[in-house]
Amino acid sequence: MKRILSVLTGVFILLLISSVLFVSCEKKPKEAGPVTFALWTQESESEGGFQYIEALAESYMAAHANVTIDVLQKGTEDLREDFQTASLAGDSPELLWTVSDHAGPFTTADLILPVDDYFDMSKYVESVVANGKTWAVPITAGNHLMLLYNKDLVSKAPVTTDELIAMAKEHTSGDMYGLVYNQTEPFWLAPWLGGFGGKVFAADGVTPTLDTAAMVGTLQFLHDLKFVHKIMPNEADYGMADTLFKEGKAAFLINGDWSLTDYKGVLGDKLGITAIPKVSSTGKWSAPYTSGKYFMISNSVEGEKLDVVVDFIKFATNTENQVELVEKLVRLPGLTSVLNDPIVTGDPVFKDSGAALAKGTPMPTVLEMRANWDAMKPELIAVMSGTKTPEEAAKAMQAAAEAGIAAMK
Amino acid sequence: MNSLTPELFRASLGQVGSTVLLIAMLAVVMEIALYLLLVRVLKHKYALPIMLLAPAAIGLMLLVVAPILYELRLAFSDMNLYRFKNPNYGIGVGLSNFARIFTEPVLKQVGFFPIFFRTMLWTGIQVVSHVTIGLFLAILLNRPMKLRGLYRTILIIPWAMPQVVAVLAWRGEFSFEYGFLNIMLKNIGLAGVAWKTHPFWNYVAMNLTNIWLGVPFMMVILLGGLQSIPSTYYEAAEIDGANWWGQFRNVTIPMIKPVMTPAIVLGVIWTFNNFNVPYFINQYELETSDILVTALFRAAFEYNRYGFAAAFAFVIFFILLLFSVWYVKVAKIDIGFGQGEQKKKKLPKIAKTAVAATEGRR
Amino acid sequence: MQKKQSLYRWFFFRSRGDTPFIRTLIHIILIFACIAALYPALRVLTVSIRPGNRLFSTTLEIIPAGANLEAYRRILFDKDFFLWLWNSLTITVATSLIGVILASTSAYAFSRWRFPGRKSGLIFLLATQMIPAPMLMVPIYIIAAKLGLINTWRGLVIAYSVGAIPFSIWILKGYYDTIPLELEQSAMIDGASRMGAFYRIILPLSTPALAIVFLFNFMMAWNDYLLARIMLQKKDLLTWTLGLRSIQDQFHTQWDMFCAAALMVSIPVMILFFFSSKWLVSGLTLGSVKG
Repeated sequence: MKRILSVLTGVFILLLISSVLFVSCEKKPKEAGPVTFALWTQESESEGGFQYIEALAESYMAAHANVTIDVLQKGTEDLREDFQTASLAGDSPELLWTVSDHAGPFTTADLILPVDDYFDMSKYVESVVANGKTWAVPITAGNHLMLLYNKDLVSKAPVTTDELIAMAKEHTSGDMYGLVYNQTEPFWLAPWLGGFGGKVFAADGVTPTLDTAAMVGTLQFLHDLKFVHKIMPNEADYGMADTLFKEGKAAFLINGDWSLTDYKGVLGDKLGITAIPKVSSTGKWSAPYTSGKYFMISNSVEGEKLDVVVDFIKFATNTENQVELVEKLVRLPGLTSVLNDPIVTGDPVFKDSGAALAKGTPMPTVLEMRANWDAMKPELIAVMSGTKTPEEAAKAMQAAAEAGIAAMK
Repeated sequence: MNSLTPELFRASLGQVGSTVLLIAMLAVVMEIALYLLLVRVLKHKYALPIMLLAPAAIGLMLLVVAPILYELRLAFSDMNLYRFKNPNYGIGVGLSNFARIFTEPVLKQVGFFPIFFRTMLWTGIQVVSHVTIGLFLAILLNRPMKLRGLYRTILIIPWAMPQVVAVLAWRGEFSFEYGFLNIMLKNIGLAGVAWKTHPFWNYVAMNLTNIWLGVPFMMVILLGGLQSIPSTYYEAAEIDGANWWGQFRNVTIPMIKPVMTPAIVLGVIWTFNNFNVPYFINQYELETSDILVTALFRAAFEYNRYGFAAAFAFVIFFILLLFSVWYVKVAKIDIGFGQGEQKKKKLPKIAKTAVAATEGRR
Repeated sequence: MQKKQSLYRWFFFRSRGDTPFIRTLIHIILIFACIAALYPALRVLTVSIRPGNRLFSTTLEIIPAGANLEAYRRILFDKDFFLWLWNSLTITVATSLIGVILASTSAYAFSRWRFPGRKSGLIFLLATQMIPAPMLMVPIYIIAAKLGLINTWRGLVIAYSVGAIPFSIWILKGYYDTIPLELEQSAMIDGASRMGAFYRIILPLSTPALAIVFLFNFMMAWNDYLLARIMLQKKDLLTWTLGLRSIQDQFHTQWDMFCAAALMVSIPVMILFFFSSKWLVSGLTLGSVKG
């Protein structure tokens, strides 16, 4: 007993000393003037996004001497997890620059602030709306998939899937492939699903509708691309599709707007950009998911700090900076006025990319989408490896999505 | 770009230095307090061991025990994103969490027990391979020979490389068309294997990767153990007429057992809870390659089922605890014995003579 | 029979006079093991010097056509690589020293005293390893935030050194157990105190185990990503694991730089292993006490 007591005393003394020491070291100045806020982003350095944000923060700080912005890069999933954890400890970063699908979890858990009161949302492209409120400020639009082709191999862009298949067949031989794309991610399935007239959710936006004729048709189509028409490699993830296209060993590639700068650098004028073709059997255009990058504000921010954060967002999305973003990152802007500016409409790459964007459909951002993605992925892979029929896979997708949604509640 | 400027250099040294000083200071203060209390005032029988243990114990309380208690509380809550800030706590909630683990699919379609058996198999394969291959290599290296340092250094590479990078490199080798494994198979006239998409082969792939990763660590540990065996023991055994197997069984194994047993127990625990390999090798998220801890990770961080995941973590905890208690019994680890008794019990007679000889020579 | 006997004897412990055949066999086995250990690492090297940032290639050459060191130049001079390395190194070294000191003394208590609670203490140490680590990140963050340890290395150093203690104690305790009690007793008869005997007899005899424990502490802190990710949220503080994360994307990674960096961060570890192997093997082990 005495021993336990003494150990406890020791623990207590140590905790006391350490807490005093640690807290006194870490106290920040709390005067009225200086404002420090953290901005987390999932933009990486490889595409220049992170450097762009840093430069933006620097120029804002240069104009506002009392403001310090700590910009930090995180992986997309890490950002979501860490933001949730930090919010739980009451220690969240003030501002996020992130993808639209994070809005689902963050609004469900009540972690971010509606932005309608602070911004004129009519000046921006479509944003994330839920429960009658807008939750994010658009920075870029797009993030959509397109059909890219190598002009050395292909002279004109296909309009229908039949044309695509015919042209791709001509270029499939030996270690050359007609069409490559990331076969492992359902994000690359979504455009075709749209082309077959399907949607992943019913009209209420939260009930999954994966076991449909459209899904079966889509899976059958993708299966046939590989096993009947034989225009695709046996296995291809992002990296392999990317490599094959860069090495000139693939005629067509399906990839997103974020990759354009990289391919421009490798292929130069030989890079062709077009929308993913019309599905011949339905006559409908494929509809890639569109999203983009958004500002989201933590709802722990208030008072003077909130004013500064709002002011920074307005600065980051003003005409001048949006034009710079278009030029530097080669992405479509979130501000409508800049989207319709000749700098965008007059550029050939943007023209093609914008035309592809126009065929797109907004990616669902609700929390339930997570279950849909996870349900689709293994079944898509099973179809593409020939272990399941499209009918079986669609059925399993629906069951898995429903189980996933039930589990999250 | 802020590079390594002298200010940052100094700042980091200052921070780390002050941390070390702080810990040293706290330890000294505490030790003096304990000394006065236990030795001077109480004249406690176990004053010295308590003083030896106290710093580690306090650190463990703060950074290991407290978080575990927090998780325990979470296991009795229904926290998820819908009830993120105001979850309900209660015994009933907790029991329903535990019930759901065994009755519902853990993730999408597969329930608890298939994943559990898969995890057991994985752990068994891994630990047996690590120990046998590791022991074999350690025995080979435990001798004076040319190039020994070089071999040892190269063999340690899988451990020295950052694990995630190594796993991603392996994942590249399991590519159907570009991985060297399939290229070699094709070169000897066999069909390529779908390492990533076929459930069975994906399981094989993660096992191969983890064997590669895990052997060096076991090898180093066992080599350390082998080094401590005086060759007099073998000489004595040989004089007694023991053959190689007798020597291996009666000298090598008992002598490295104190080092090997904890390594095996910890190896089982770590393999059971290995995350990087099953998570990253399973690029296509096949449910058939999930082990308990990856399923748990998905439930916790991808589905944000905080309460459920905490309960799940304790299920894993209890499985491992049962195993450890059982193993400690079966392997007769002398955690209850002092060193003196252990020596009498463990060492063959001949070895004891050797110890006496060793000491006589000092 | 005599020959066979000596062959086995040679196989299981130190040998002199091996036959050339056996020597060759051993070398062949070890060379094969080395190739198996080395080849995947060489593939990482290949990616790092392949031009144009490609993970895959349709060739199997170790040195690809047009190989260059561009990725190394970029990671060294365009990124804060030295800052990351320096940060990791200071944290790791401090952690390893503290961890070894804490564990070596605690393990001594477990090895030489039969105090009540000893058995359950050892089981408890094991038990701390049984909760999957990712699950503890949320509570550790909350505790660290309460203590003001977020964005300090103090928090990381403390957490790492504590995190490795259970393993370290088990290994050291096992090793101390193999050291005969008589050695200490004779020292104490010569007038040394208990701690003096520990310091002068036990510690020097335990160098292999201490080296293993040091390496383990070092590797754990050096390669940690999970904990560093939640504890450090300022650019100046990042360790190399966090720094490397910044050249990865959701779909798109700069593989050449990633692999170049991975190889370069392995170098300090390899150097450490190379020098520590002296401690792992020779030194004042029981075997050499015999002389």
